[in-house]
This record gives sequence, C-alpha cells and structure tokens, in this order.
Amino acid sequence: MSGGREIPARGRSLSREGVTAILRNRGIAFKLILLCCASSAFIFLVIFGYTYRFSRDTIEKDTRERAENLARNAVSRIETILNAVENVPEGMASALENCSLTREEMLRMLRASVAENPEVYGAILAFEPHALGRKTRYFAPYFHKHDGAILATDPYAPAHYDWEWYQTPKRLRKAVWSEPYFDTGFGKIIMSTYSVPLYRTAGGVDRFRGVVTADISLEQLSDIVSSIRILHSGFGILISKKGTVVTHPDKSLIMTGTIFDLARKRGDPRLADLGRRMVAGESGFAPFPILAAGKQSWVYYAPIPSSSWSLAVIFPEDELAEDIIALHRVVIVLGCAGLLLLFLAVILIARSITKPLRAMATATEAIADGDLDVELPPATSRDEVGKLTESFRSMKLSLKDHIRQAAEAAAERERINGELAIARDIQMNILPTEFPPAPPRDRYDLRAFIEPAKEVGGDFYDFFPIDEDRLCFVVADVSGKGVPAALFMAVSMTLLKATARQGLQPEEIFARVNDELSRENRVNMFVTVFCGILDTRTGEVVFANAGHNHPLVLRKTGAVSFIKTVNGLALGVMEDAPYRRETLRLEPGESLFLYTDGVTEAMNPADVLFGDDRLREELQTLAGGGPDSIATAIMEQVKEFASGAPQSDDITVMAVRYKGV
Amino acid sequence: MDIQVRKEKNATIVAVTGKMDAVTAPDYEQQLRRLMDEGEKTFVNDFSGLVYISSAGLRSILATAKALKAVEGRLLFSGVTGPVKDVFEISGFGSLFQLHDSPDTALKSVG
Repeated sequence: MSGGREIPARGRSLSREGVTAILRNRGIAFKLILLCCASSAFIFLVIFGYTYRFSRDTIEKDTRERAENLARNAVSRIETILNAVENVPEGMASALENCSLTREEMLRMLRASVAENPEVYGAILAFEPHALGRKTRYFAPYFHKHDGAILATDPYAPAHYDWEWYQTPKRLRKAVWSEPYFDTGFGKIIMSTYSVPLYRTAGGVDRFRGVVTADISLEQLSDIVSSIRILHSGFGILISKKGTVVTHPDKSLIMTGTIFDLARKRGDPRLADLGRRMVAGESGFAPFPILAAGKQSWVYYAPIPSSSWSLAVIFPEDELAEDIIALHRVVIVLGCAGLLLLFLAVILIARSITKPLRAMATATEAIADGDLDVELPPATSRDEVGKLTESFRSMKLSLKDHIRQAAEAAAERERINGELAIARDIQMNILPTEFPPAPPRDRYDLRAFIEPAKEVGGDFYDFFPIDEDRLCFVVADVSGKGVPAALFMAVSMTLLKATARQGLQPEEIFARVNDELSRENRVNMFVTVFCGILDTRTGEVVFANAGHNHPLVLRKTGAVSFIKTVNGLALGVMEDAPYRRETLRLEPGESLFLYTDGVTEAMNPADVLFGDDRLREELQTLAGGGPDSIATAIMEQVKEFASGAPQSDDITVMAVRYKGV
Repeated sequence: MDIQVRKEKNATIVAVTGKMDAVTAPDYEQQLRRLMDEGEKTFVNDFSGLVYISSAGLRSILATAKALKAVEGRLLFSGVTGPVKDVFEISGFGSLFQLHDSPDTALKSVG
C-alpha cells in the first residue's frame, strides 16, 4: 500500500527534476526566449485581465444604468398616460357631484370625454338602480371608440353590477384601477378601467350613487413597453398589481396567468420571490432566473405608482459581455502579434549574443582537448563576450606558457633526479661494502647498513685497518640531509680516513679534522662522529665521541648497556674544541653497537619515537648473535616500527664483534 | 614550532615551543636575524616549551651564535631539559653555551 502511494510522489519529483534538467541543458537563446516570452505573456495577461475586469464592470454598470433609465422612462410615460386617463372620470365625477346635470348633459359629457381624450378608449357612467328616480331603473351609458368612430350603447339597457370596475370602488369608497381584463362586452380588447365612485351628500352622509370610469386599451401600454430595447434581446414586461402579465413579447403569456402561476409551473421559487417584490411596489436589480434560450439574465424592476403595476426590464448577461469580448478579441490579437514580434526580436538578439559564445565554446573545447594552437574567434565588440574572448586569449597564452614551463621544470627535475641517482651510486660506492674488510679478519667481525632518507644522505660509516693489528671504525651524522649533507659527508669522511691512517689517536684525529672543518665553515654545517680503534690482539678499544650518540656494548654475560662517553663538540662547530680519549676492553665474543639518531628517532604513525630503551631491549634479545644478524635485525625492527610512516632521517647501524686471538 | 619574543631591559627573550627540525629551524634563524638587524645583541632562548630539536635546529643555533659573535653579542639558554638537553649534551653544544634554569637567572647573569 505504502509503495503504491510513493510511486506518484516519485513521479512528481522526477518530472520536476526533468523540467529543471531540460532548462539546464538548453542553450542561452532558449532560456532567453522562454523567460522573455513567458514574462511578457504574463504581463500581457495581467493587463488584459485587469482591463477585461474593469471594462466589464464599467459596461455592466452602464448597462444597468441604461436599463434603469429605460425602465424609469417607460414608467413615467405610462404614468403620464394613466394620469391623463385618470383625470377624465375624476373630472366627470366632480361635475356630477357638484352640478345638477340633466341626462342629456351627462351623455354629452361622457361622449366628449371619449372623443376628446385620445388615451381613453371608452367611458361608462353607471348609476345604482333607481338612483336617478323611481321611473328609471337602469342608467348606464357607455361610449367607446371603434374604427375611428364613437359608438354608444343604450343607456337604459339592463346592466350588470358585478363587474370588478364597479364593485371594487364601491367597496373601497375610492377611485381604483381595475385588474386588466378582456372586455367581452363591446371592446373585445384587453383593457383596464379607472373607476371613480360617485356620492351624494344627504344629511351629513355620503351615499353611493354609482361610478364613472374611463377605459384604457392595453395595446397602447404594450407599445410603450415593447419599445424598450436593451442590448440585443433585452425586453420589458408589465405586470398588474396581482401579478398578471399584461405585456410580454411572448403574446401567449399575456393575460393567461400571473407571474406566480408561471413560477409554480416552472417550479422556480426565485421567480415567485421576484413577483412578490414587484407586486409590493419595490424596485431593484436581481438575477433573473429564467429567460428564453436559457441564458442567465438580469432584471431591473420599478413600480408604476398610480396603478400599483410593476415594470420589469430583462436583459441577458452574456450580451453584456459582447462589446467587451469584441474589444478584447482585438486586444488579444494585438497582444499575440506583439508577443510574436518580441519572440522574433529575442531570437535575433539571442542568436547574435550566443553566436560568438558558440564559437568560443567550440574553441575552448579544442583547448580543453589540449590544442592550445586553436584560433579563437575574433573579439568584434567590447561587450562581455568580447571581454571573455580576450580573457580566453590571454588564458590560452598563459596556459601555453605554463605548460612550457612545466615541461621545462619536468625535464629539469628529471635531469636532477638522474644526477641524484648517480650521486647516490657514488655515495654508496664511497662506503666500504666488504665485510669484514681486511686482515686480521679472523679476530673480529663487522657489519654495517645505511638507509638514506633521500636519494643521498649525510650519514656515513667507515672502517679500515691502521696497521696489522688495529682496525679503525667510524659512524657519523652530518647535520641536515640531502645534497648539502652528502657533500659535507664526503669531505668529512675523506678527512677522517686520511687523518686516521697517520696512526693518530681518536682525539687527535678529531682535533685535526675539526680544525679543518671549522675553518671557513660558512654554511655552519657540522658532523657528529664516533670513532673507535680496536686492537685485535687485546680487545682494547680506544675511542672518542664528537657529539655523537652513545654506542652500546653487548657483554658476554648478556648485559647490554649504553657507554656513557664523554662527548666533545661535534666536528665543524668551533676550532680548538677539546676531545677526550676513552678506553674499554672487549672480551672475545663481545660486541659494540653504533648507530645514528635515525634509529632512535625513527617515528611510527602515532608520532612515537623508537627510543633508546627500545633499542637496548632489542639488542638484549640479539646479544648472542653475530654482527650480521644484529645489524640486519635492528634495521628490520626500525622499519617494522615505522610501519609505513615516512622516514625523516638517514638511518645507519654498525655492529663490531671481537672474536679474540 | 611557535616563537614568542619578549624584550627585557638588557636582553631579548625568545621562547620557542614545539619542534625545531629541518622544516621549522629556518624560521627561528630568520626571526633572530631580524631582531639582530633591529639592533638586539643579547638573546635568551627559553627552551622550556621545546620538545624536540634535530641537527638542523642545532645548525640554526650555531649559525645564530656565530652571527652574534661577529657583533659581540651573546646567546644564552634557559629551560633546556629532557630530550633537548640530551641532544645538547651528546652533541657537545651544552659546553658551548651558558645554560640557565630560567630566563630570570639568565638575565641576572647578563647583568
């Protein structure tokens, strides 16, 4: 399950990495184009979105205002007509109540009111039965227009009193507009009637006598309402105070029911709500829930005060946006054309920028492959690319220079290494390699090893017979390492050998060699030397120590100890330095062990010194062996102890064993 | 190796700590050469913090001592102990110089 959830996550991160990788691997031109066009498109979209929103709001506001104005205008026109109609029966009522008119005068007045008022379709004067006297049961004259003529009905014909236009004003005791109705009697048209009740005051009581009315043909109002045109398919409708649809572009809806019936039929409570607000005489904007073609629409509604009717102006929402869409179609085309131009411009610029860069890339790849003679593209401008080209040119030159120098240095190093190898051979050849060297070889045994830290070193050992019975042996360490030490070593060794062969005692040898070395010693080098002379007849060793490590003596008893020599100054430090001769005696089978500080100061990787104690203990285990095994073993021990740590100093060991006569 | 130089009334105390070998000895030599060029003639080497000295270190001391001798200066030592003292004794350098227990006693001997 968890695996199943992880897979899409991994997919997402991979795709993000993929996008980054694509961007990273593309050229500058691609990135430039992408960034420029993306940011321009973004800016364009933001501006476009803002103007769209802003102009949409403005146009919407304008349209609303227009709808409102149209509605108000229509309301006021309808109101004018209605008022004109209202004036007719009210004037007649006033005349009837205040003047005593004959029946003839009444008929003349009624006829004139129809004839002289174009808004009035017809008028009736209906008295209560017997209101005009016992003899006259009915008096209800009616005049109406028909094909341009004024037609009259028989005023004495039996009349019905159950018409709304008669009953409502009688009951409410005030003038009212009737609900629109289809006149089945004479007009055969949809009309509405304004009825004014008539009273006669007798004994302080107003007694109802009848009504005087004026009809209005709703065709007239329908013309006004249908003249409302807003946007393409916006239209007006008029509903009565009970919600009856009085005018509507769809004729089938006129007088066939109320807005509430319609709402019930369509099951739309919002329509019923709108109807309620309209009937209540409110005004305002609302989304109109239904419209032909099923488009979302808006409605503005306002009341017609005199008749308590309500006018609504309906317009579809999408037509609001039509102008904006037309405008923005142009803006989009312009924007896209602009983006295309920008795209082309960026391509041109990017190409011109990256062309020298591409040339540079080709050239530098050649340089990277080692071709330093490749020609760099010419720097045509002083811009960044030009500077880069210049930098590469100088880099190429200095690389060439460096490579030449490096090659020369390598050749030089090789030469020096070759010379050092030869120098090492020479140095090793100076050192005696024949063990033991000379007679009387049966009376002693000797073995020495040397391991320079570098190709050549400052340590040396030497041994040679002075006469038939005496052997001189030397171990020495020149201060420092390398070539200078090697040269100083050669000088010291030669001087020592030459002086020793004159048959002098060790301290005399040192005094002479020291004076020689100290004189004009500008480099301040010196050499520590242990020099011993073994008398093979007696086993007596006379020796002197010029600043060198204390040697060890390996006794027959197995005891191994340092010989605490009285050390003089190292040779070469100061003229006239004093040296002292000392003596010790070796029994047959006893040995001396000489070494340089390369042994005791050998270091392991943990920076621990080999040390005097370790040397003495190692020798103790080797006490019974010959010089060869002792010297070999100590060299191995030191090597093992260092366990790979770099050798910092030359290492020299020498073991001398007295075998006896 | 680290070198701290402190100038006293009648001498310059050079406290050397760490190891004085072929790599670091030239630093010591150059530093004292510079002090000498500034006119210092009497130096007390405080070696109480020195744990190791090689023959290259001795050579630098020898070179400095010779240079001082040429201008009639003096090189004294204090705090030479342990392995460093062994090297001084074995090489005979101990007999060349005045070795004191502390810089103070060395200063007193200068007077």
